[in-house]
Amino acid sequence: MSPDKHDTGEAPVLNRGVASRLDEVADSGLLDYRSEALPTWCPGCGYYGITHALAGALVELGIENENLVVVSGIGCAGRYPFFLKGYGFHGVHGRALPLAGGVKIARPELTVLVVGGDGDGLGIGGGHLPHAIRRNIDVTYILFDNGISGLTKGQSSPTTPQGQRTGTHPWGNPDTPLDPVVLGLGYRASFLATGFAGDPDQLAGIFTRALAHRGFSFVPIVTPCVTFDAVNITWDRMREGWQPVPEDHDPNDLSAALALALDENRYYGVLYEETDRPTFADAQAGIADRAGAAVS
Amino acid sequence: MTTADTNTPPGTDAVDSIDVIIRICGAAGDGSLATGAFLNQAAARMGYHIMNIDLYPAEIRGFGKSVAHLRISDRPVHTPGVRADCLVALNDPHAITELDTLAEGAVVLYDSNPPVYWEEDKAIAGFIEPGMIGYGVPLGELSTRATRSARSRNIVALGSLSGIFRIDPGALTEGIGTRFGRKSAELAESNLQAFNLGREYALEHLEKADPIDFRDRVPGEREGVVVASGNQGAARACLDAGLRLYAGYPITPATRIMEILARELPGRGGVVIQTEDEISAIGHAIGAGFTGRRAATATSGPGLALMTEFLGLAVMAEVPVVVINGQRGGPSTGLPTKTEQSDLFLAVFGGSGDSPRPVLAPADVSEVYSLTATAFEIAEAFQTPVIVLLDLFICNRTEDVNWSEVDRDTWGQYEDLQAAPDGEDSGYRRFTLTDSGVSPRTIPGVPGGYHAVTGLEHNEQGLPDYTPENHLRMTQKRYRKMASLLERWPDPEPEGDEGAVEVGIVSWGTGIGSAREAMLALQEQGVSCAGFFPRLIWPLNADRLKEFATRCERVIVAESNFSGQFAGMVEQALGAPVVRVTGVPAEPLDPATIIAAAGGRS
Repeated sequence: MSPDKHDTGEAPVLNRGVASRLDEVADSGLLDYRSEALPTWCPGCGYYGITHALAGALVELGIENENLVVVSGIGCAGRYPFFLKGYGFHGVHGRALPLAGGVKIARPELTVLVVGGDGDGLGIGGGHLPHAIRRNIDVTYILFDNGISGLTKGQSSPTTPQGQRTGTHPWGNPDTPLDPVVLGLGYRASFLATGFAGDPDQLAGIFTRALAHRGFSFVPIVTPCVTFDAVNITWDRMREGWQPVPEDHDPNDLSAALALALDENRYYGVLYEETDRPTFADAQAGIADRAGAAVS
Repeated sequence: MTTADTNTPPGTDAVDSIDVIIRICGAAGDGSLATGAFLNQAAARMGYHIMNIDLYPAEIRGFGKSVAHLRISDRPVHTPGVRADCLVALNDPHAITELDTLAEGAVVLYDSNPPVYWEEDKAIAGFIEPGMIGYGVPLGELSTRATRSARSRNIVALGSLSGIFRIDPGALTEGIGTRFGRKSAELAESNLQAFNLGREYALEHLEKADPIDFRDRVPGEREGVVVASGNQGAARACLDAGLRLYAGYPITPATRIMEILARELPGRGGVVIQTEDEISAIGHAIGAGFTGRRAATATSGPGLALMTEFLGLAVMAEVPVVVINGQRGGPSTGLPTKTEQSDLFLAVFGGSGDSPRPVLAPADVSEVYSLTATAFEIAEAFQTPVIVLLDLFICNRTEDVNWSEVDRDTWGQYEDLQAAPDGEDSGYRRFTLTDSGVSPRTIPGVPGGYHAVTGLEHNEQGLPDYTPENHLRMTQKRYRKMASLLERWPDPEPEGDEGAVEVGIVSWGTGIGSAREAMLALQEQGVSCAGFFPRLIWPLNADRLKEFATRCERVIVAESNFSGQFAGMVEQALGAPVVRVTGVPAEPLDPATIIAAAGGRS
């Protein structure tokens, strides 16, 4: 359903409990980042919690709406820019990172957030991730990983477990899934954090650190598709095997981060952060100096 | 050439005029292209018009043939010409294969004691037939005497050319001195020595049997004239138009644009990014265009094919971006170092859905500059991707140009909205319907102008809306922008004879030079002839085209592709068939094919 169909101009009738909760939310500043368009996601979708947490991070960092650009690809997560008060670019499938790179390079003062799903970012767009990482473009990329192609109603994605039955693999998915955390560390993203939907406070903390990081921050989040996945990532199983990143973990230690990523347990929080790697803009400043000297 | 000039239309007064075609042929690495460049520069400095096209294989080394083809004339040059008046052989086995490109009575300058690399190598001296004039010069020996190596055989040959054709050595030696002087004074000195030895040998030992004498006509220095290629013109336009982001992936023949910008743009406040592929290149450019900064990419057919999905997005989301496409032979990887005009349909129609976008095609190097600069104005004023359609021929060829005389239409700066039109929280409508189709735009950083653009069909607010009424309204809006552009664009002025004519020639891009030369030749033969050469080839000005066609007995559409792509578009506009002159010779269109189609003598 297209979002503007909700826009009937009539106020919905709410019960007192919901109303008081809304007052609470209104005071929190979270609604400052909500557009008038209502989300089109299914009831119970993990994306609601993720966007709630994202709004919390934006409030925490005090980012002005006019200086916020959200770029997305195609998929359920791709619709996020419509629901956000700021500037948005809903692009083509798999190509959010190139668009976001162009935005950030042209206007370094803007805060650029990239959102997209597992099919978008690891399938069709998988070739762009390593290059955004090696350029260390200062954008934050949140991967909504639900292990399924949801918007097209339940086909396999690059993170669908082997053997799972889907619309395109009715007899079981023959391929092994990609692990975005191991990928991101292997490509050596200058920031990598991970977590799962359903714990917005935990996520808000992660997003705040990711947005504050200078350089490319990659944040794969595991989230359920309540409509097209009843076996893999479900709310019931959501917390299975997750632990916080150990307190003694050194986020500057790539080997330690990889060890956590390869552990049979899953760890939420910041696995890796390199604070001193030059960003694309830093490198560009050096190039501009050398070129400027040559021109003059 | 002073008499019996094969490149001059019959019947013209050829006395005391210079119009000479020289081909310098060697193996890759012999310096044939550098020799051509020295000669071009010097001729342009002396006031001649020049056109030069380098022909080389896709492979870097090995045994590939490199040919510098240049035409020097005291009149404006429209094409590089076909039949050469002089062949310089720096590698005999390769040069032998060039002998059939020569005009009657052509000069062949060769090494009288050529190096032999393979036992089966043949010396070109044995192939000089009646109807050719052979001049043997000991290029290798003189080179060794001057520079203690055979590497300056090409400079010796240049000196000999200067002697044979009585070309004032001043401009040539100045060029050699400057070029080698950058490396060392010693190198400059020894190469000048090589030049002088070649020149003196020609003057003292060769019995002049050809009629070419540059002293017949020396136009005199023209202030501000330089030699430049289409790629240089495109890069210069990007710089002058205020480009902020160039994103590209290397591909022949467009790479040079990126290399020039990579050197020049960062010192002028812009950024060049080398992306992982062409998709990412146009993606970055569109991202920058969305933020209100001028952005461009340049590519060739295979890259443009990859970019089509993003082009559609820029049409749908109404984002300004300039895409320069240097066509080469296709389909697929095709003929990477050969020219062709076969990406027209891809540029105009490529992609999904009804996706209108302006396409410009310049006819010469000066126009590459002016139209590329104008592309940025169109992109911004109409919030649209704009394609500048070049081809390998115009990308790589050099001409004499005077940048200060080339107009750059600035259209009056387009201004993005600096504030939401009705204040903050007023529900700004990014895609407001207007008569022109253009909606006032805010860019990131403007409070209250919030919106999301999308590749989905959307309503005025920018939110997805798939109702048929909305889709129709928005499609009409996008096409209305093309109509508005056509109103803003100056009508194409037909060339040639006025009133009713026997032959009307329609062409585009580099075909225009060939068409123009054919038109002039036909006029000389007494055939009334006019030309219609639009530079904005999409949207096409069908009204002016129809007006033109109604006064032509026969309409010929000439272009360098097999299927007659532009002819198809012209036929659609006219609702009537045309005579198609097409071809994929991997070379610029030969005017003779057009003359033949018009019933003239070639």
